[in-house]
Amino acid sequence: MTDPEKDPVVHSSLSRHLVIWSTLLVLSLVWALADEIYFMRPWKRYQARFVRLYSAFLKKEKPAGAEVEQKIKATSEYQRLDREMKAAESAVMAKVKAIDDEVNLTLVPRILALNEKFQESRAEIVALTYKIETASGEAAKNSIRADIEKIKQRAVTVNLPKADGTEEKVEYQYARMEAGLDAWKTQKAKRLQERVDLLKPATELRAKRDQYLSDRMAEASTDVLNGLENKVRSFDIRIRQIHVRDVDLVDRCESCHLGAREPVVLTRASMGGEGMFTSHPNRELLKIHDPEKFGCSPCHGGNGIATSSEEKGHGRHKYWLWPMHYRENFEAGCQQCHYREVVTEMADRLNEGREIFRNRGCRGCHRYEGYDREKDELDGVYQQIRQHESQKAEWERESGFSIAKADKTKDNSEAQRLYALAENLKVRSSGLDARIEQLDMRSKNLLREIKKVGPNLKEVRMKLRKEWLPVWIENPNHWRAGTKMPTFRLDKDEVRAIAAFVWQSGVTGKLAPQAKGDPEKGKESFETRGCMACHSMGEGGQKQGGTFAANLSRVGEKVNYDYLVRWVHNPRERTLPYDPIEKRDLSEEDYKKAGVPFVFDVEHSQSPIGGHELVVENMTPMPSLRLTTEEARNIASYLMTRTRDESYASADFLEDPKLKPRGLFLVKNYGCAACHEIAGLEEEQRIGTELTREGSKPIERLDFALLGHKAEKEGWYTHKGFFEHKLKDPAVYDEGKEKPNKLERLKMPNFNLGKEEIDAVATFLLGSVEPNIPARYHYAPSDQRQDIVEGWWIVRKYNCMGCHRVRVGQNTLFEVLPRYQDPDWKEQRPPSLVGEGARVDPVWLMRFLNNPSLSEKDQDRNGVRQYLKVRMPTFHFSDGELRKLVRFFEALSSQAQPYIAQKLDPLSEQERSMARALFSSEGAPCLKCHATGDPNRDKRATAPNFLFAKERLKPGWTKRWMLDPARMAPGTAMPSGLFAKQGDRWVFAGPTPASFEGYKKDHADLLVRYMFQFTPEELNRLRASAGAGAGR
Amino acid sequence: MKKFWISLGVAAALMLNGCGGGEKKEEKKAEAPAAAPAAAPVDDANAATVTGKVAFSGAKPTAKTISMEATPACARAHSTPQKSEEAVVNDNGTLRYTFVWVKAGLPDRQWPAASNTVALDQSGCMYRPHMLGVRAGQDIEVTNSDPTNHNIHPLPKVNREWNESQPPKGDKKIKQFAREEVMIPVKCNVHPWMKSYIGVVNHPFFAVTGEDGAFTLKGLPPGEYTIEAWHEKYGAMEQKVKVEAKESKAVDFEFKG
Repeated sequence: MTDPEKDPVVHSSLSRHLVIWSTLLVLSLVWALADEIYFMRPWKRYQARFVRLYSAFLKKEKPAGAEVEQKIKATSEYQRLDREMKAAESAVMAKVKAIDDEVNLTLVPRILALNEKFQESRAEIVALTYKIETASGEAAKNSIRADIEKIKQRAVTVNLPKADGTEEKVEYQYARMEAGLDAWKTQKAKRLQERVDLLKPATELRAKRDQYLSDRMAEASTDVLNGLENKVRSFDIRIRQIHVRDVDLVDRCESCHLGAREPVVLTRASMGGEGMFTSHPNRELLKIHDPEKFGCSPCHGGNGIATSSEEKGHGRHKYWLWPMHYRENFEAGCQQCHYREVVTEMADRLNEGREIFRNRGCRGCHRYEGYDREKDELDGVYQQIRQHESQKAEWERESGFSIAKADKTKDNSEAQRLYALAENLKVRSSGLDARIEQLDMRSKNLLREIKKVGPNLKEVRMKLRKEWLPVWIENPNHWRAGTKMPTFRLDKDEVRAIAAFVWQSGVTGKLAPQAKGDPEKGKESFETRGCMACHSMGEGGQKQGGTFAANLSRVGEKVNYDYLVRWVHNPRERTLPYDPIEKRDLSEEDYKKAGVPFVFDVEHSQSPIGGHELVVENMTPMPSLRLTTEEARNIASYLMTRTRDESYASADFLEDPKLKPRGLFLVKNYGCAACHEIAGLEEEQRIGTELTREGSKPIERLDFALLGHKAEKEGWYTHKGFFEHKLKDPAVYDEGKEKPNKLERLKMPNFNLGKEEIDAVATFLLGSVEPNIPARYHYAPSDQRQDIVEGWWIVRKYNCMGCHRVRVGQNTLFEVLPRYQDPDWKEQRPPSLVGEGARVDPVWLMRFLNNPSLSEKDQDRNGVRQYLKVRMPTFHFSDGELRKLVRFFEALSSQAQPYIAQKLDPLSEQERSMARALFSSEGAPCLKCHATGDPNRDKRATAPNFLFAKERLKPGWTKRWMLDPARMAPGTAMPSGLFAKQGDRWVFAGPTPASFEGYKKDHADLLVRYMFQFTPEELNRLRASAGAGAGR
Repeated sequence: MKKFWISLGVAAALMLNGCGGGEKKEEKKAEAPAAAPAAAPVDDANAATVTGKVAFSGAKPTAKTISMEATPACARAHSTPQKSEEAVVNDNGTLRYTFVWVKAGLPDRQWPAASNTVALDQSGCMYRPHMLGVRAGQDIEVTNSDPTNHNIHPLPKVNREWNESQPPKGDKKIKQFAREEVMIPVKCNVHPWMKSYIGVVNHPFFAVTGEDGAFTLKGLPPGEYTIEAWHEKYGAMEQKVKVEAKESKAVDFEFKG
């Protein structure tokens, strides 16, 4: 027998090990569970916190809302509406009850009872009818027919309920049953309609009462709040995700951001300082981009699936390639789908970034798809022409073959077929001629549409003071703070060489010597003609005006007066035309050789050598203000006074031919031709990298050079970090690099951008990605909105928004220029173009944009608003641009295209004289402000000549304008309240002429019809009667 | 012993588990917003007064004659040509149509609302009065006593702009400005010479100088104030004044021509 004490099983207990190990096991299980249930799911905590904060918020909100609601309900107006509603209801209650009783107690039970028996009989008949159809032999059929007849004649007893609850027995035959049933059903429908009619006033009043309440409650009503409270009470802690199946998108953002789509506005303050729970700040945006369809991360970036931590969810993790956009760049999300647009609604920062990229010349060195619009289109047009031409040749050839074949064929009908084929091919090819003609015209247009960011350097010798040039090149921002021209890293020798090259490559031409003008008048013109919508004047804090074009504070130090006069008068005027085929400027000599007069302008744009299109204008977006030479001289004389007292070292080296070759090399090296037209470098290629997809370039391919580690340590080893550092200091990634040859250094110049500008450009670049959502989500409308996308490019190109409000909420320069704050100057602001497409006839608009003076003889005027000092300039738009602009405005106002004028009722003679009397009456102010074309009267006019309404305006708009102009253009000089509503028509609010007595039609309509059926004879009559009126 | 270890383990597990379910205490509750100052009546017994004159020095401006020939109905209303009211110097050398008000220094409280309406008439194609002061939210009654059509077009910077037509002898219009603003120019687009100025103030301490060029700001609580005098042509100037209870102090302004 063994000693139990010695038995290891007995004497050494394992329980201790067991406990330790099982504890560890339990602990790890606990840890695993805790991690799984709790730590890896922080959103559970967030949701619990949300429920707490949200219910507290609702609780607090409710009494406030209820109080407001109570107050509104206590107002006499609400009480009155409530009383009226109740009165209307009770007035018909008895009748309604009678109807209800009849329908519910009599008609419905009777219909049910009768219908049951009727259906039984009918079923039998239907069954027998089927038997007839399947029976064989007429005898069998006839016997069944007799059976049916029997059923029809059979008397059926129906227990019909009565209103008092008892039943009566009635005997029916089939036909009577059917008729009776129909009669009751009709009766029931009739009674129910009567009921609706009876209750209609009460129903309408109830809607009115409820509307009154909801119109006055900005916040959610108690009902809504109660609903939300219920929702919160039964809040279920779980993952909340959006799954967009067709793009395989899962976004769980709302597992934490629970307030994003709540119907009440949740602010950080109302949610206990918790930013996570606030509402989405832009509901309108969410309406357009429904999160159920778009998710969150396609716009915001980040990792929509991750739920284990904030860092991971936001994609701010080194293994996630698409971090959530930071606040200052969040509009980057718009760009990936809206890449065709230059202006996107509600994305102002992105718009600014695009505008800097476009207007500051970035696109000159860096290709970006869609930003070389004219060049790309031109290439496309040329390609299409080639294609069409080869197609044409092919058809012509085939047609010839066909005829030859037909001539030889034996069979007549085959010959006919071949002849017809040949003819058809010819007709089709003639159609191509039309297409080619259009493309050809377009190509000419496009050549005109190409603009450069910087001035034409071919004209430096005529335009500039020699001494100024090297000073400028060395550091443009130093000479003119905030200038578009960036600062290059150049040493003195390089500056000298570049300046000498530019100077020596310039053309020499004749400039008409100009008499001096009056600088005082010039200053007034400069400040009132509209120059300041693009140009600024004054330095530092004194600066006023636009940033689209140069600041002119020191322009007197650099320019030649005679050239400046020519420029102010017409900036597009060139000294010599450029021939893109010959690749050089043509001289007078070339014209002489060809025996053609030396004239080149928009009308004379064909090369004397070869006949192709020439560049006949300076490639500047600056328009002509159609000023007289005298006024141009005044403005130039004023500008010549804009100088600082500074001396310039002499710069005779500019004429040194030895410097030229090195200068040319440097100018090519630094890509100057990206922004400037330079002789010999017109066809230079870009020197920078393409940026269309820069935001999704793998980060390793962004060259942080020696700063990579530093960037990682400091947390900017990201696209955002790369862009921001590069934009702030384009040479930053040369830091520490050994580059003995200076030309190896980074070439990008410093654009001296401020923080906000850097944010804007970085936003644009961060959004410039390979889209990771399917193309059908991209904004590429095929309807009218396409015209809007196209139009914005032109609006931006010519800075229309400097003067005009083009979209709602946009400010122009005139809203900030001090002079235009004065009440009297406010009316001198250029007109708002919001709703322009609904306002004007598109054909007229085309004519106006082409020549805003609307006159061939007198160009020194505004065609419409002659009383405005500010001048609508002539932009020399190409036909293509005109088309796009007109379509843009039409599309912005959702106008059907092509425009067909609305037909108006003809005006009777009596109506005509009534309208005339009203127009010219003392009680109606129309003719006090509006011009009529009478020069004496028009001196005092402050509004357009509405007698041209017929050709200029659309009738519907005109009426809406007359009724309430402030609704369309707040701040307009045209007063509201000229008409008052009387029943369903508008009547003139003041005293009307006697002839209006008994007139039953709409007065506003009458005036519109009068204006749109205006004749020259009527103009004379109106003037005569206005004269008489004025004499009273 | 064994049991002890096991139960310890289980207890520990339970405890840990329990801990996991616990939640942090809710943060400090947001404080209730401070109650709005009540509309207490001005303490008349202790009220102070500021009086003064707006003097004018320099060459007396000659008022331009307004040409109303564009609207004969207007011209007919005047037997002698109407002079511009842009700068009117009274016979005693003071400046008329200067708006004087307490610009700063008043306690943050609500002042009893004004109950009367202020009239603005268009008569003889001139605004009567040329300048007026109202409380924010106070009713302004606009009338047209002329046989011609006018439009009333205030051009505020802070308040909402409006521009309404008023036919000859048309219905009166009752209008208010919700926010303090000194001054709001008012014009008639039909008759460009017509101009009026409305000063909108949150409190009752303002005045427009008349034929004697004097002003009185009554009922001020004791305190230190900035008084501003505003004139459409000569600009604005400020002075500081400290008044004790029941005290009356003079503050004079002088505009230079």
